[in-house]
Amino acid sequence: MKFVLSLALLLLLPALGPAAESRRGWEKSVVRIEVSRNAYDYYQPWIRRSETVDKTGVVVGKNEILTTAEKLSDHTLIRVQAGGRGAWANATVVWVDYYANLAVLTTAAADFWSGLKPVTIQTKPSFKKDGLQILRWREGKLESRQAEFTQFAVRKGQLSDINQVFLEASSEIQGAGAGEPVVSGSRLVGLVIEQSGRNCKIIPGAFLRMIVTARASAQASRLGYFHFYWQPAENTASLANLNLPGAPRGVLVIEVTPRLDGLPNVLQPRDIILQIDKFDIDMQGDYLDPDFGLLMLENLATRNCWAGDDVTMKIWRAGQIHEVVYRLPRYDFTNSLVPAGVFDQPADYLITGGLVFQPLTVPYLQRWGNERARNALFRLNYYREDEATKDRPSLVILSQVLPDRFNIGYQEYRGLVVAKINGQTVNNLSSVQQALQNPEGEFHIIDFAPNETVQRLVIAAGDSERAATARILENFGISSAAQITPAN
Amino acid sequence: MLRLIFIVAILWLGVARVPAIEPERSVVQIYIFMQKPDWTAPWRYDPVQSASGSGFVIKGKRIMTNAHVVSWSRQIIVRKYQDPRPYLAKVEFIGHDCDLAVLKVEDESFFDAVPALDLGELPEVRSTVITYGYPAGGREISYTRGVVSRIEMNIYSHIGNRRLLSVQTDAAINPGNSGGPVIQDERVVGVAFQGIQGLENTGFFIPPPIVNRFLKDIEDGTYDRVPMAGINLVTLQNPAYRAKLRLPNDNSGARVDVIRPQSPASEVLRFDDVVLRVDQYPVANDGTILYQGNRVSSAVAFQLHQNGDLLPVEIWRAGQAQTVNLKVEAPQDDQTQGNQFDVRPRYYIFGGLVFTPLSLDYLRDADRSGARSGLNDLNYELFYHARENPDTALKEPVVLSNILNDPVNATFLTRDATLVNRINGIVIEQLADVVRAFESSTQTYDVIELGKHGTFETLNHTNAAQASAQILKTYGVPQDRNL
Repeated sequence: MKFVLSLALLLLLPALGPAAESRRGWEKSVVRIEVSRNAYDYYQPWIRRSETVDKTGVVVGKNEILTTAEKLSDHTLIRVQAGGRGAWANATVVWVDYYANLAVLTTAAADFWSGLKPVTIQTKPSFKKDGLQILRWREGKLESRQAEFTQFAVRKGQLSDINQVFLEASSEIQGAGAGEPVVSGSRLVGLVIEQSGRNCKIIPGAFLRMIVTARASAQASRLGYFHFYWQPAENTASLANLNLPGAPRGVLVIEVTPRLDGLPNVLQPRDIILQIDKFDIDMQGDYLDPDFGLLMLENLATRNCWAGDDVTMKIWRAGQIHEVVYRLPRYDFTNSLVPAGVFDQPADYLITGGLVFQPLTVPYLQRWGNERARNALFRLNYYREDEATKDRPSLVILSQVLPDRFNIGYQEYRGLVVAKINGQTVNNLSSVQQALQNPEGEFHIIDFAPNETVQRLVIAAGDSERAATARILENFGISSAAQITPAN
Repeated sequence: MLRLIFIVAILWLGVARVPAIEPERSVVQIYIFMQKPDWTAPWRYDPVQSASGSGFVIKGKRIMTNAHVVSWSRQIIVRKYQDPRPYLAKVEFIGHDCDLAVLKVEDESFFDAVPALDLGELPEVRSTVITYGYPAGGREISYTRGVVSRIEMNIYSHIGNRRLLSVQTDAAINPGNSGGPVIQDERVVGVAFQGIQGLENTGFFIPPPIVNRFLKDIEDGTYDRVPMAGINLVTLQNPAYRAKLRLPNDNSGARVDVIRPQSPASEVLRFDDVVLRVDQYPVANDGTILYQGNRVSSAVAFQLHQNGDLLPVEIWRAGQAQTVNLKVEAPQDDQTQGNQFDVRPRYYIFGGLVFTPLSLDYLRDADRSGARSGLNDLNYELFYHARENPDTALKEPVVLSNILNDPVNATFLTRDATLVNRINGIVIEQLADVVRAFESSTQTYDVIELGKHGTFETLNHTNAAQASAQILKTYGVPQDRNL
């Protein structure tokens, strides 16, 4: 009997959460979002598959819903629903920043906004450590799950490699990571972007506020980053060797690569960074953030500053303290030789004679799964370690060959990085297209970066190539020989 | 994905009819006690392990078996058919690339009344063969009848980076059978050596052409290894490519796609040459030759020769045929890309920092031991760097393998598995450079630059030098180097 009573109490407990949150009026601020979108198959880039994704947002201003940017790209229809039930309203994206992983939606349906109220974003972490709640609509009811604060930590973003501060909390909620608001009392503390086990990764309120404020002021802002490599100075012999007096502190600059914006580098290998924006840097590479405590210095590239802003650094170089002004470069997916993100554009490709050319991107590699990317596609995956340069801004691969008598002998070639076509260096599909305009006599000569499979292919150019392409497109049900998104 | 190939020997005792000469009298069981090194702690060996395999008596009072049966052996014991007495044996010659070895027995009376088996010819596909051996450590000999299913090139998994001619049979191949003879018409037509995990009724044996080449190779008292052409041939079936090379659109010729730098081939062959014939074998446009009725890779035509042999190679270049003489050689520069055996790993230790040349063996052990960083960089360095950028490739990449913890190195951030770029400004192209960099140092601090982004660590040279002996003692390292 005792067991039955306990079970009844347990069953009752979840109901208390929504009731409590309801008293605070969160049901008037949390919005359910349904996104229909095109998901591109990077193995067959001409194919679009539709998918529908549920997300959560929160009203933050007049007729504005804040949510995460993930899964908003390539949308075909966005609908929002207030109160977790009832009519849906069509919505549009007012603003999206995939680097910050945030977006603002709105709807023209006036009825939708009736009764909704904006939330207050809490920027200071002065909430109760065990008083966080994660909210979302489930079956018409506002689900509220307790979350326990774990730490603030600097991590890479979900959609980009930008390091920024995140709040981490432990919760029993399952499947979170679609923009669920994290609240404390009556204030918004953050949005959940990822859940791994019980650990939820949350964009904190301070970052939300910074992005929302910048957008409201129409400031053309993009996140910046530190474009150099450093290491902690825990090896005190290194500091002694560089004659740094006093207590061990600072971090060591180890590699400085040319900036893509053409500005000169103000840092050099062997510099010791002692301060950034007047924050002392300790030998682990952390600084004492007034809001979040000890954080990795990378956060100082996004803490209340943007790409193009100047950051003052105090450094130790050649036995002297120097002050240098570091202009934050703009983070862009194309900074990497293999772009991490491709958003709001179809999967690009070009087909000629059955040879399928594609840009090498992370979405392409992810199509194969992590295990295969690590092993069979090791070399392609390893290009992710490289930065884009002016000479090599991106890569094009021969991703596959659609079999036809025209390309007989080549059908099994795939995953080869293209170096040149007809003697012209190629690094994007436009350059492939251009190179194919200039065949070497009756042939196209395609040279690959050194690999263990094959270094060169030759195909016929001209009428037979065009006829083969048309035949292959028809046979394989492909509507167009190319999809090339113009470079920005 | 490569299927995991495992090394085995033949198991099942079928109802095979035993030939009149009773070859089992010539089949021996081999017990070995072996000890492999830990390539991440290269002065240390794993515990002694025991294993067993098979072998057979050949002319000259010798026993033939697989290299993998006797690799890393500390002691080899052989037993005759239905004879319990153990005899001590030693490796006389071993060919890790072709997975063959020849043993001598200390007490030659072992061979009394034991007839040597003769080698036969390459068996025909669909013909029946019988394998003999001692699978799964059993004391009684086992016979397995099978059909020759296929003859083609295969990866020899013992070394891992060689593809040689092999014969596939539907006889089960199981651990312990390795080295046993495969018999047809009372002659040895193969040496059982490996199977493929996940494939049932599939075993492989080393055919007579490879065995004979090995035996001829060691006649001069030295094993020179299997030579290669030094080129990579690719198919030339596309009419456009053939037209570009002004080559008739028929079934002949494969294209030279890669020439190994500094190989003899680089002196006589060029990119886009078309190989029409190797020795007496016409080369088809898929890169194969017809070898004793089997269509196999043209690489076979090179691999059956001896190191240094000159082969006539007919090629098509600039619109006409011509013949060049190609010297075949065993590559000297890819041993670290395959499994290495019977060699003590090389290393150098200073101040508790353990340096060792990068190798496949090291990568495997580092991965197994959970190395924290840098394995992708090392993988690239070992297998891709030289191919992609030969000008910047290192002669012998060296890694900081691990650190024997001591106050002199306690503040190092880099703890393991990282490529060494420079020490005290000296570019580390080989292990000897590490020794030179430390031993020629006259500065207070040694500066070690590591990894893709030039992480650097600093060591107080005097303190490290003074601590080195004690570190070796603390960690039971017998010597600070094996160069």
